[in-house]
Amino acid sequence: MTALLTLTDVSMHFSREADSRYAVFGGINLKVGAGECVALIGRNGSGKSTLLRVMAKIFAPTSGSVSWAPGVAVSLLTLGLGFRPDLSGRDNAYLSCLLLGLSRDEATQSLSQIEAFCDIGTFFDEPVRSYSAGMRARLGFGTALMNRSQVILIDETLSVGDQQFREKAREALERELAGDRSVVLVSHAEQQVQRLCQRAVLLENGVIAAEGSPDDVLAEYAATIGKTP
Amino acid sequence: MTLSQAVTLVDTLARFHLKGESRQYFLGYLWWVLEPLLYVAVFYLVFDVLLGSRQPDFLYFLMVGKLTFIWFSKSVNQAAGSLEANKGLMAQTNLRKELFPLAVIHQGVYRQLAVFGFLICFLLMGGYLPSVAWLWLIPLALLQAMLIAGCGLLAALLVSLRRDFRLVIQLGTVFLLFMSGIFWDLNAIADARLRDGLLVLNPLANLIDCYRQVLMLGEAPKAIRLIWLLGESLLLLIPAWVAYDRLQFWIARQVVTR
Repeated sequence: MTALLTLTDVSMHFSREADSRYAVFGGINLKVGAGECVALIGRNGSGKSTLLRVMAKIFAPTSGSVSWAPGVAVSLLTLGLGFRPDLSGRDNAYLSCLLLGLSRDEATQSLSQIEAFCDIGTFFDEPVRSYSAGMRARLGFGTALMNRSQVILIDETLSVGDQQFREKAREALERELAGDRSVVLVSHAEQQVQRLCQRAVLLENGVIAAEGSPDDVLAEYAATIGKTP
Repeated sequence: MTLSQAVTLVDTLARFHLKGESRQYFLGYLWWVLEPLLYVAVFYLVFDVLLGSRQPDFLYFLMVGKLTFIWFSKSVNQAAGSLEANKGLMAQTNLRKELFPLAVIHQGVYRQLAVFGFLICFLLMGGYLPSVAWLWLIPLALLQAMLIAGCGLLAALLVSLRRDFRLVIQLGTVFLLFMSGIFWDLNAIADARLRDGLLVLNPLANLIDCYRQVLMLGEAPKAIRLIWLLGESLLLLIPAWVAYDRLQFWIARQVVTR
């Protein structure tokens, strides 16, 4: 399988008030192949989000190397990318599309698709500050689906809206990911990991503590949590 | 992201921000002109009504100076906080970091176009006759935009290093307010060396004097003064551009993990 994303001996240190070289993680080796869905599992604060940011070219690692296959676009799937409360849902959706790298024409064309997916009626043309949390999440999910990158990094953003919308969002996401796109998914939802991913990686104490089938790694994660006093 | 996409994004960010901002206020877009005019009114009250300025046509003199200075001070101060203000976006996308201060600076350009329109109408109503020399307003405004871009980009970079620079930059713009001949005439400095030194060291003083020369006296500015302005703007812009090019990851880490 061709690797679209390769991390070799990657480590990350941050400067904190108590510790000028706080190690978030170290010695991470990971490959993500074309069409593969990999789950990244670990406790809060284990460095999952930071690792996704390294993969998404937002942070450079302190040491080690990250390589992306030539011409491959990698991006984080995010809800409500830079939403501005005083602008309408339509304006915010348009702006989000531009931030995702779509051209002016592509962004304009995407609006009807986003409006249909969000299903929030005339609120689409109202300022986002008047939205309920569920409506914001719908708009966020609708715009996030316009992400056309080959490697998608998802950071615990799938459980949004009411039951009916969650189902719609899950179906839409699985449809989007059905092609040859690769996914790295950070999630605590076991069923989601088992259904979507072929492989899982457990990040614990700044290192990869386990890697393998989602069932095995989830069992290892459960055991790790169980061991915690 | 291609250059054309970056330009589209900066322009859209600027226009949408202005649109959102105007919706927060009852008087909306009118504040673009009202806010600087209120500053002019305060300065006029203090320096002319209370202190009795001896400057002929003081109101027009003050307006040309203050309305162009506000463009600089507001844009640079807003650009200084722009990276911090877009922390959330920076944590989610790997957009070029200079786009954030540039979008803020671009907002200032839109506002200033309205302010220049108002200023010209006001000068015409005050009996100032338009002349060919007024066309110099275009290169002067372009030079000011370059100067703002250079200062704004560097200011944002410094604030991403340490928040303390935000306060230093605010104080710096207050210092420039007093040193740029906004409510006093630089040409009144008797010592020619001191006057020339101030014009060279402070590009804003040079710019404001050139604006007055063009709009109030109907004269073209001296070429050497424009060359100085261009040189100083490039002296700020080029290192800023190089710094952003090399520090993309560093900026994201500084701002996101703070």
